[in-house]
Amino acid sequence: MASPAIELRKVSMVFSGNEYVLRDVDILVAEGEKLVLIGPSGEGKSVLLKLIGGILVPSSGEVIIKGKNLNRISKQERDEVLRSMGMLFQKNALFDSLTSAENIAFPMREVLGASEEEIENKINLFLNAVGIPQARELFPDEISGGMQKRLGIARALALNPEIILYDDPTAGLDPITSRMIIQLIKDLQKEKNSTLVAITNDMMRAYQLADRIAMIVDGELIITGNEKETKAHKDPRVKQFISGLLEGPLTELN
Amino acid sequence: MFNTIGNAVFFIGDCTLFVGEVIRLGIKEKPSLHEIAEQTWRVSMQSLSTTALAGFFVGAIMTVQFTMQIQQFGALGYLGGLSTSGTIREIGPLLIAFMLSGKVGAFTSAELGTMKVTEQLDAIRCLGSSPIREIILPRYIAIILSSFFLLAIGLLMSIGGGLLLGMFFSGINHEEYLRHIPTIVAWPSILIGLFKCLVFSIILASICTYRGYTTTGGAKGVGLAVVNTAVATMIGIVIADWLTSYICEALQSYFLGV
Repeated sequence: MASPAIELRKVSMVFSGNEYVLRDVDILVAEGEKLVLIGPSGEGKSVLLKLIGGILVPSSGEVIIKGKNLNRISKQERDEVLRSMGMLFQKNALFDSLTSAENIAFPMREVLGASEEEIENKINLFLNAVGIPQARELFPDEISGGMQKRLGIARALALNPEIILYDDPTAGLDPITSRMIIQLIKDLQKEKNSTLVAITNDMMRAYQLADRIAMIVDGELIITGNEKETKAHKDPRVKQFISGLLEGPLTELN
Repeated sequence: MFNTIGNAVFFIGDCTLFVGEVIRLGIKEKPSLHEIAEQTWRVSMQSLSTTALAGFFVGAIMTVQFTMQIQQFGALGYLGGLSTSGTIREIGPLLIAFMLSGKVGAFTSAELGTMKVTEQLDAIRCLGSSPIREIILPRYIAIILSSFFLLAIGLLMSIGGGLLLGMFFSGINHEEYLRHIPTIVAWPSILIGLFKCLVFSIILASICTYRGYTTTGGAKGVGLAVVNTAVATMIGIVIADWLTSYICEALQSYFLGV
């Protein structure tokens, strides 16, 4: 395995109350690897992604990005590490008072302090790369759900991140658009050989995208392996989830 | 009862820590002047018409009230000075603060609250930047700067309103109305007005940005943030008005002996 881009050591997360959302999660994600997280809703997939993205701080354990422990480095170093990551949020989190072009320009202007000429070139480049040059002067609420996803991807890529986090990039999209978005994510990842962690509950899309799949259930992270290994996994919870059965340990828990 | 007191104490404590962070970032990192200018323009324009209108009528009301009081002493010549002094010291800053609270305070907490619940603030954090620096700080400074600009507009309009009523209601001419304004509206009154304006705008900016920034729970949460902002700013401003009046009077009598 190549050197890890992301490493989680005994990461636990507890919100109010004493219930663990995540318990002692360990995982290594290699540089250039595509890891897909699956699992029932409300089991902590987004929480895990936000821990990696530095938005949340774990209750215990260590989140190490490119060899740097996010919670043991200075704020300046931490900001630098965060700038090497891009994130697409589940509901896109686009800046609704800014146009599509300004959404992409925002990180370059505010974080990098890039020149206006450079920003202009990058806006055109990214809008073309995600296939929405026509949305340039439109606001997020004036474009379709699929275009918003593409715009979210373009903004996540604006700082040329080495690690990209996608929180359910195909949520609410039709199967054809979903497939196109996943293909776009794959193409963009291949271009830069970036490390990718994505959440999806659509197993077709998970197989299409992943080098490795991991499932989060009961606060535990089960690494199920590649498509073949996942399909043959012995854990009854994994079996039930990937086959979408109504009866099994996951539904008994509820 | 104890729960309400506990919530209020938590609110004040947490809000103070938040403002400390805003000030710390404001000193440490240079905020974007362009963004501050843009926000100041937006805030000022948002409240300009209502402030101007309210200022005009406050001047008019003050003139009517003072006319009824002082005409029996034959001192109508002092009408302009007294009316303007009352406006600049007391009613002006209070009026501007209430206007800003209703329009800008509610708008800012709703805007920031929506950004919070739709993860837009998280997106900024995820880009290795700070939402306090990028979003909160320019709005915070803009609210304070605009309040001074709006105070000036409100005062000018109140003089206009007072003058008009002075001419048509009290029956004095414009020269008589304006003559004693410079003598009665002395520096202490102007400084007290400016000081109150500063204190009220800091309270407003702190509460609305804090409530917006700490919003949780979707549309209902945003609604609650707006309501809390309106209630907390009104209470905060009224208490601060009492406190600043008390302090200013004490300072004035200590230093000037009046």
